[in-house]
Amino acid sequence: MASGKPPDFNLFGAEEKVLAAAEGLERRVADGPEELRADVRALVEAYRRAVREQRRLVKVSDRLQGQLGTVNQELAKRTAEAEEALARLRDAQEQLVQTEKLASLGALVGGVAHEINTPVGIALSCASHLSDATAAIHRLFAADDIGVDDFQRYMDTAADTARLILANCERAAALIRSFKQVAVDRTTSERRRFDLAATIGATLDSLGPGLRQAGHTVTVACPAELMMESYPGALGQVLTNLVMNSVVHGYDQGVAGRLSIRVDQPDPVTVRLVYADDGKGIPDEYRARVFDPFFTTRRGSGGTGLGLHIAHTLVRGSLGGTLTVDSAPGRGTTFTLVMPVTAEERLSPG
Amino acid sequence: MERLTIPATERSPEVDFDFAGGRLSIRGESYPEDAAALFGPLFAALDRFLAASPGPAIRFDFELIYFNSSSAKALMNMFQMLEKAAEGGRAVTVNWIFAPEDETMREFGEDFSEDLSHVRFHLVATPPDGG
Repeated sequence: MASGKPPDFNLFGAEEKVLAAAEGLERRVADGPEELRADVRALVEAYRRAVREQRRLVKVSDRLQGQLGTVNQELAKRTAEAEEALARLRDAQEQLVQTEKLASLGALVGGVAHEINTPVGIALSCASHLSDATAAIHRLFAADDIGVDDFQRYMDTAADTARLILANCERAAALIRSFKQVAVDRTTSERRRFDLAATIGATLDSLGPGLRQAGHTVTVACPAELMMESYPGALGQVLTNLVMNSVVHGYDQGVAGRLSIRVDQPDPVTVRLVYADDGKGIPDEYRARVFDPFFTTRRGSGGTGLGLHIAHTLVRGSLGGTLTVDSAPGRGTTFTLVMPVTAEERLSPG
Repeated sequence: MERLTIPATERSPEVDFDFAGGRLSIRGESYPEDAAALFGPLFAALDRFLAASPGPAIRFDFELIYFNSSSAKALMNMFQMLEKAAEGGRAVTVNWIFAPEDETMREFGEDFSEDLSHVRFHLVATPPDGG
């Protein structure tokens, strides 16, 4: 620091001393031959100039390093700003992902209601039929007009309706159980042990009404009892988004699609899930961008451009895997999801 | 002598030595990776040009935005050559051109002119694109 420096400090003190000595030499040879004097004079002058040049060069060099320092500071500032902007963007993206998840949970609830309606409706009409038959046999019994045939018919009706009521109530209960698990998985994002085939089944059940209405069929080939230790909610969300992407973009109105899910294990610790549709395919110019956030060809008709991005983010994040796309116009679209059987525990799963 | 022109690159200045017209200029930024490769040919040409005696009057414009230490040393060498030629009777004018707000460049001009007594040295503050 300046205060610790001797007040008479001179960066070029040594050079000035040499110069003074040279000038002394010049004076000492003043009486010598002219040729010698001229040579010494020239040497002293050259040295003087060399010292001046040295001073200038030090100045140039200091300036350059000063500028470099300023540029580095500016760079550090810009880097910090960019990082902050990136963090804000990630937060915003995360919020959008959560919003989108909630929206798809809403759709899920709609699907559930529709799906449960069928067995409940059957059970209800069976119960109503049993009630009517019971009232009729009750009247006959009260009038003491009951025959063996009447009683036999009633017994058959009661057995049939009770069986149907039981089966349909069991179906409804099973659906509710599976939807409950799907809903819990989607909202809590907890890692747990699950049967992959069952999770695929429950996810497709939740999508069932929409798929059936449009006439699409899904075939699943998944090894039984393939247990994973991962995030079933994330996986269900990924499958949902892939299927929805096919349904929304892959087929024109009235075209029935064939969707397929094939699961295999390239090695014991890895699961490969290949999801394919036989739809229109993705044009070359879009293919590289399908996982980009907010990339959509359907913004006007309600697309957010987040579906495949969320799928990609969940695969890369929670599931610890990779999601790749293969598609060509007219040849359908295939997504390949490769993930570990056991996902890493995450502090804040996406 | 044939005119010597070298287009500017990202790290080296535009050079235009119009020997016949006696107008020479170096403009732009100068922080070449290989200072010898850039300045070597310039010194050689300048040497031959200045050796021709008596030669035409010379006007040399330096319009540098940025230069590194090697370039600074090369500039001082160039000024020394011009000073010798001026001392030998050649009319030499140097215009040191800089942006008005560029105090550093003005200071360098002032410093460089210290060693010149026969060269006519002008400090010229010129707004960008002001000619």
